[in-house]
Amino acid sequence: MPSFALTVFLDGISYGMILFLISVGLTVTMGLMRIVNLAHGAFAMIGGYVAGYVTQNGGNFYLAAIAAAAAAGVLGGIAEASIYRPLYRKGELAQVLLTIGIAFVTTGAITAIFGAFPYPVLFPDYLTRPIDIGFRDYPAYRLFLIAVGAVIAAVLWLVLDGSIYGARLRAAVDNPRMARAVGIDVNRLFTLTFIIGCGLAGLGGAIGAGVLSLEPDYALKYIVLFLVVVIVGGEGSFGGSFVAAMALGIIDTLGKYFVAEAAPYLLYAAVFVLLLWRPKGLLPPKSAT
Amino acid sequence: MRRLLGIIVGTILASWAISASADVVKVGLIASYTGAFATWGSQFQQAIEAYQALHGNTVKGPDGKPHEIRFIYRDAASQGPDKAKQLAEDLILHDHVKFLAGLELSPYAMALADISKEAKVPVVIMNAATSSITRMSPYFVRVSQTVPQDVSPLGPWAVAHGIKRVYTIVSDYAPGYDAEAYFTKTFKAAGGEIVGSARTPQQETNFAAYMERVLQAKPDALYMFQPAGSPSVAFVKAYVERGLKAAGIKLLGGGETQELFLPNFTDDIIGTVTSMHYTETNKNPANLELKAQLKKMFGDKAIPDIASVAAWDGTMLIQEAVAALGPDADGLKYIDFFRGKKFDSPRGPVEIDPVERDIIQNIYIRQVEKRDGKLVNVDIGQVDMVKDPWKLDNPPKSN
Repeated sequence: MPSFALTVFLDGISYGMILFLISVGLTVTMGLMRIVNLAHGAFAMIGGYVAGYVTQNGGNFYLAAIAAAAAAGVLGGIAEASIYRPLYRKGELAQVLLTIGIAFVTTGAITAIFGAFPYPVLFPDYLTRPIDIGFRDYPAYRLFLIAVGAVIAAVLWLVLDGSIYGARLRAAVDNPRMARAVGIDVNRLFTLTFIIGCGLAGLGGAIGAGVLSLEPDYALKYIVLFLVVVIVGGEGSFGGSFVAAMALGIIDTLGKYFVAEAAPYLLYAAVFVLLLWRPKGLLPPKSAT
Repeated sequence: MRRLLGIIVGTILASWAISASADVVKVGLIASYTGAFATWGSQFQQAIEAYQALHGNTVKGPDGKPHEIRFIYRDAASQGPDKAKQLAEDLILHDHVKFLAGLELSPYAMALADISKEAKVPVVIMNAATSSITRMSPYFVRVSQTVPQDVSPLGPWAVAHGIKRVYTIVSDYAPGYDAEAYFTKTFKAAGGEIVGSARTPQQETNFAAYMERVLQAKPDALYMFQPAGSPSVAFVKAYVERGLKAAGIKLLGGGETQELFLPNFTDDIIGTVTSMHYTETNKNPANLELKAQLKKMFGDKAIPDIASVAAWDGTMLIQEAVAALGPDADGLKYIDFFRGKKFDSPRGPVEIDPVERDIIQNIYIRQVEKRDGKLVNVDIGQVDMVKDPWKLDNPPKSN
């Protein structure tokens, strides 16, 4: 009995790690600059396809993952300067429309370049096998996801809590006006953070390709999941998105294990309940209260 | 002067219109080129172009005049039956098509039932695999397959080869239910036992928890039915990752291991047994022709699948029908031409059921192996000229 409980728990956590990696950038975009970025999934998708291309052409997997993050980050920087900056003042409807449009365009471009079939990222052999974790075998890949996610979460936490950049970011999220008043260049801060967020999304798309399959409609298919993580966690809250990602990952996996037919409904029912209980998110930043 | 100009223009336009209707027979192909089902459109189109490049796109009618068969392609964009219906209406009203074709999903085909009857346009169904479809309109003929037809030989084969306990996991949509129902029925009838079953959300790619349950149930084999594409790739990955293969649980399936998708899998898929109506490595002359032409026109990456053979055969049937009956025959006359037709398809010998207008074909049991460093399906069994079992279980009240 306990062995499968641990398995389900690990499955949920590993899924949650990917959701967190990809969503953390979105929570900053929505919480800090209040932009509804429905194209966020496209950056994860681009990262995934870059990693897929590199590994399929013989490249090392870790290099591919770094390339994925870099490509997504660079594209994020270009997009921010050219497309997103004029959006800040335009209002939510314009943002929704434009970013959905970007997602569609990215999907079309990916279809044109890579074709409509699922696009695999070739993981190193030792990641595709189960390994012995003491009392049973468990996929190495999932343990890898948990490890990477935990390390990145820890690094983000240290940066947020311990660095000037982190302090400035938290200040800007909590009260952008006051932050500007004390001399923090909020726009430059946001550009840098947007790039990092897109880079993390690209990384998540690349290493998470075994959980969230790469296909041209990835951007729109999974954006709902990322939005759910951000909203349930609290817009602008890193801790919130971590907790929400873990919670949703576990609820989803538990649902699939115990009530297979109702599993997708279970997840959204949980979201419904969580938002009724905490409409501003599980761990909202101060600016929300 | 103006009157002369008017007569000249009028003559040109009139002759244009006359020649357009006499010399070109238009076929409207509705399939998805974008969205979740984007692979169907291009697979259909490549096979049609290959057929017409090899066999010509012009046939001589009974009046001796040449008629070009021209396909007009429309993207259903994976947007559902309403879109398919709208495209069909457009094709009939504005493009004056004589035939409709394509239709990868059953809902698209079902949506065209009324239109086909009203406009009296034959519809050559090149995939939609729900059994009852051909009963929905006398203008429907199917050249692809039905799910029960593909699935039903696998159960008896499994029992005959020592597989007595099976866990079924199918995707939660109509073809999945058909597959589950017919596999379960034929497997149990042959003496097997179903130890568990589950239905996964459509387009699901995270199967970890389901695989866990299968491991607990310890079956001899796992039977899967997942849409081709990322769900089936993810399913087989999870089957291996979760240690089911290592635990000795065999994998049984259907269209998931088509050669088109095998490059997405690792060698772990070797040994998977599936039942399908088309094995890509067969040596039928028509198949060798199809493969060679596809390679010539579209390069090494062009691999035929069930969409390709259906489109190939559909094109052949349409061209032969126009050659026999001319370009302006009544829709039902074309359908009557198709009834009872026996021919050699790239998949093997095929017959169009004269009563049901559905396809009767061999079903092949095949296994994934590695040949010359490539993953391929190899035939290990065959059941001849299988009729759609659903139709046999549900005889028509009237036709």
